[in-house]
Amino acid sequence: MTKLLRPTTIVSLLVVLLCLVMAFAPQLIAPGDPLAGTPRDRLLPPSAEHLFGTDSLGRDVFTRVVHGAWLSLAAATAAVLIGGVVGGAIGLLCGAARGRVGTAIDFVVMRFVDVLIAVPGILLALIVVATLGFGPWSIALGVGLGAAGSFARIMRAQVLRVRGEEYVEAAAVLGVRPLGVLGRHILPNAARPVLAMAALELGTAVLSVSAISFLGFGVAPPAPEWGALVSSGRDYIATSWWLTVLPGAVIVGVVLAVTRLARVIGEAR
Amino acid sequence: MARAGTALRLVGPKVLQFAFVVWATYTVTFLLVRVLPGDPVLAALAVQSGDATTVDPEQLAALREAAGLDGSLLEQYLGQLGALLTGDLGTSLATGRPVVDMIAAVVPGSLAVAGLALVIGVGTSVVLAFLASIAPWRWLRDLLVQLPPLGVAVPAFVTGLILISVFSFSLGLLPASGSRSGDSVILPAITLAFPVGAIFFQVFITAIREAESSGYVFTAEAKGLGRVAVFGRHVLRNALLPSVTSIGLLIGYLAGGTAVVETVFSREGIGRLVVSAVLARDVSVIQGVIIVVAVVYALAALLVDLSYPLIDPRLRPGKAAPKATAPSTFSIAPEADALSASTQDPQNGAAK
Amino acid sequence: MNILEVENLQVRYRVGRRRVEAVRGIDLSVPRGGIVALVGESGSGKSSVSQALIRRLAANGEIVGGSVCFDGQDLLKLPMKRMRSIRGGAIGFVPQDPNSSLNPTLRIGEQLVEGLRLHLRLGREEAAERAVRILGDVGLSHPEARARQYPHELSGGMKQRVLIGMAWSCDPQLVIADEPTSALDVTVQRLVLDQMQQLASDRGTAVLMVTHDLGVAADRAEQVVVMRHGEVVDAGPTSAVLHAPTHEYTRDLVAAAPGLNSVRLSASAPSSAQAEPPHPLLEIRDLRKTFSLRRPGAAPEPFTAVDGVSLTVPAGRTVALVGESGSGKTTTARMAARIGTADSGSVLLDGRDVTTLTGDPLRQLRRDVQVVYQNPFGSLDPRLSVARIIAEPLRAFGIGGRREQQRTALELLDSVQLAQTLADRRPAELSGGQRQRVAIARALALSPRLLVLDEPVSALDVSVQQQVLQLLVDLKAERGVGYLFITHDFGVVRQIADEVVVMRQGRVVEQGPAERLLGTPDHEYTRALLEAVPGAAAR
Repeated sequence: MTKLLRPTTIVSLLVVLLCLVMAFAPQLIAPGDPLAGTPRDRLLPPSAEHLFGTDSLGRDVFTRVVHGAWLSLAAATAAVLIGGVVGGAIGLLCGAARGRVGTAIDFVVMRFVDVLIAVPGILLALIVVATLGFGPWSIALGVGLGAAGSFARIMRAQVLRVRGEEYVEAAAVLGVRPLGVLGRHILPNAARPVLAMAALELGTAVLSVSAISFLGFGVAPPAPEWGALVSSGRDYIATSWWLTVLPGAVIVGVVLAVTRLARVIGEAR
Repeated sequence: MARAGTALRLVGPKVLQFAFVVWATYTVTFLLVRVLPGDPVLAALAVQSGDATTVDPEQLAALREAAGLDGSLLEQYLGQLGALLTGDLGTSLATGRPVVDMIAAVVPGSLAVAGLALVIGVGTSVVLAFLASIAPWRWLRDLLVQLPPLGVAVPAFVTGLILISVFSFSLGLLPASGSRSGDSVILPAITLAFPVGAIFFQVFITAIREAESSGYVFTAEAKGLGRVAVFGRHVLRNALLPSVTSIGLLIGYLAGGTAVVETVFSREGIGRLVVSAVLARDVSVIQGVIIVVAVVYALAALLVDLSYPLIDPRLRPGKAAPKATAPSTFSIAPEADALSASTQDPQNGAAK
Repeated sequence: MNILEVENLQVRYRVGRRRVEAVRGIDLSVPRGGIVALVGESGSGKSSVSQALIRRLAANGEIVGGSVCFDGQDLLKLPMKRMRSIRGGAIGFVPQDPNSSLNPTLRIGEQLVEGLRLHLRLGREEAAERAVRILGDVGLSHPEARARQYPHELSGGMKQRVLIGMAWSCDPQLVIADEPTSALDVTVQRLVLDQMQQLASDRGTAVLMVTHDLGVAADRAEQVVVMRHGEVVDAGPTSAVLHAPTHEYTRDLVAAAPGLNSVRLSASAPSSAQAEPPHPLLEIRDLRKTFSLRRPGAAPEPFTAVDGVSLTVPAGRTVALVGESGSGKTTTARMAARIGTADSGSVLLDGRDVTTLTGDPLRQLRRDVQVVYQNPFGSLDPRLSVARIIAEPLRAFGIGGRREQQRTALELLDSVQLAQTLADRRPAELSGGQRQRVAIARALALSPRLLVLDEPVSALDVSVQQQVLQLLVDLKAERGVGYLFITHDFGVVRQIADEVVVMRQGRVVEQGPAERLLGTPDHEYTRALLEAVPGAAAR
């Protein structure tokens, strides 16, 4: 309980809460139009009126960051869900099958999982994007498949670890049926590290999605997205630092908060 | 003879594993490209002609054949696999050049950046980890350990842009882009070194902490050794094993990172090649790069595996059974005693 | 004249935001050349004391008060540099677990040389020669070869000899030994302790021996200091403390120590179900089990863990299966409980062959055969409440509704003498002894006729051990259950066994009625095991 009350944890929770508001009700925080610019107000530095300054078309960067949260975060969340469901299922089956009927199956499948882990996630995502076409949802699918390998590995490791625990053997010896052992003892005890991993992967996915958007394979302009925002500020880096640094700082803040929470989930007992 | 046999038993499976990784990578990418909806040849042509409706069927067929994408799925799979065995990665859909040539042309530039990044990242982490465990003040030790999450959380494109604005535009010390001059490697390498070093640091410091809380470090300190001697002789070597393992992972990370960094710094390299291939929807080039990266990764993993016995004597091939012959004073239960050492309790092993 | 005088020593740990007082101002002295035992159960603070003496506590611990006067100077006031020259030089330390206390990546010789070069300022070659001599002195054969070996190539007993050699390597005036033999088998324990005692008397070294085992203290020490909850409750010459303890806690401890006075425990209430003559409940015939051992770079080698074992457990009796580590006793028990499968041989329950049961028939067997594990920390699911843990077998066999299961669970809590208020707790909130009672209650839920108990008390403190054993004896009388009781401890055997089976290297060495076997053992190995039980000096 005390771990939840640590200042860093509280700040992280607030950041995540803020992200949810930005994604689902951006108007509450930034009532302006993210697409409408005033050409007169081009490239203004941060001020009380324009918290993050304005871009080359005179659009308010803060408004664009807030309204860009939805695509960035939704794509990252979708990626984690895809990776978690696909990878988690593979890991669960392999871990449960090993030593019973499927030691050979487990061996072969896990070697493929090794490959998914070995190939850099961003390359895997890029080949998916090249095949499917550009856009945030192809990115999500690509990043998700890249993460599936890690999910499969940790899920399997957890299932095997818990299966090796004495209380699981004890349950079988007490006369509990195999499926009962899996549902009542193995899954609940294996879940926490997998959840912590999912939170950690969410941070990584935010980074990957924004990196691929930065490369120009995400949403079509002028729709706002965090990676794309940084990318569009690139040409003005010498004169207008806020166009890259402030959206970048938002990404850093979100990733740090999510990573912090992942650690809390992993530690708490 | 027996020696050669032992060597074969040790190395044989690892070489097999290497071949497997390459084959499996090829299979995974092949499946990805073919299972997902969309015709890669059509997509590439559409990008080239700028309009999907005016595709010349003859041109399409010619391109399919050139890229080895004609015939049934199985024929394509086996045909490309056969080519792969001879070192042929196929033909680019966009340029018509052999993929191997295109990759070979840009590898040196990426290798320079990635290699330097690995050296800077790992080197800095080792120094930081050393300071974090021998620093006399607790606040400094705690602070140093808090650094790595920051290194992982800052996107490489942001770090790169900030470095450019500071060192190129404000200070004018280093070039912002290009790959002509030698010092153009430095900023991209530093950019990549942040996340790579941070990942390595986390693994390394965890291993160090574990070693520090172990019984043998207590013994060493009870012997009267000083901090530096304890760290150098007892902590470091034992912390090395898990850390070396992570280097394989770092190589994958570096290969992925080049895509962003080379774009930010407008450098020629593998990453740029991939990015332009994605723009041209040139799937064969991306597939080729992934296979090359997998080969490099598998080679690194092989080297790491073979280095384990050098680091940890427990992993060296057994010189027959450990000779735990009983000393004369063990009159009662010498065998039982020796047994428990050499078998590591078979009962517990069986319980798992 | 005392070499070590400890006054009002206080040690504190930070755990989260809490501060835990582990040592609350203890006094202690060790005469020159004398052997003093510091005795206590887990959590008494005895290990903290030993670590505080050389100022090497865990990272979250600190010494908050008192003085440690060694050879006339207060160690707590010395600068760290001077302290390091005393550690390993004037004060040697023998750590608890030999298997984790040597650096796995350095050769044995190199690890000895370190201290010699540091404290005696020997040259490289001279130190290497001295290291070999030390290895010979502590009774290792082929010391030159040993010096070139790595720790994993030595057995636990050998490693402890190396560590003892290390502690004495620079001719210290005092050696602190923290549970030096608790990770070793009894016969090895005895030899290692002999070695230590020999070295101490040859060199005139004072020894402070930290132990949980009153028997060891009784055999080896001239003076005993008893600790509890961070305080000294009793101290004085060994015989006085053991035979006329002043403090009630010491009295309980002496009474409970299995090595000191193993009186056979009898049921608290008169037995009800002992009228009929016992018939064979479990029969094991010629059981065999072979594992294959894998080593890197070598072909798997077969290892026979159990080699033709036969034994019988009569209904309502306790059969103790005794052996040291590696004897195959646990493997045998697992096959008897049908957790592991045998390579050959048969297991009969009530004359019915159950050797090859699988699937649902095997599950039905659990109504009759249940298991209690050694480690009460591992065998209970940490996420379930005590009541749900105990009711789990009932649930698995669909016995009664949810309410009825809950009521049975509460009754079972009563019968293992736990308060019903514990029903909603999780295992992490219970002590080791309480957990083991929960495990026993769970095993009894289906009213089985055979309980296989795998070292059920060896993870518990002696005073708790005593209570759990008494509970087992009472339950047997009440319910007429048969026990197959696995243990390495002859003290425990003496207290509960009706019949004894001694195993060594996968074979049965000797078996027979407890009284006969403990009194006049036939086999030399049984005799050696009996003699090795610490506490002989006080019996």
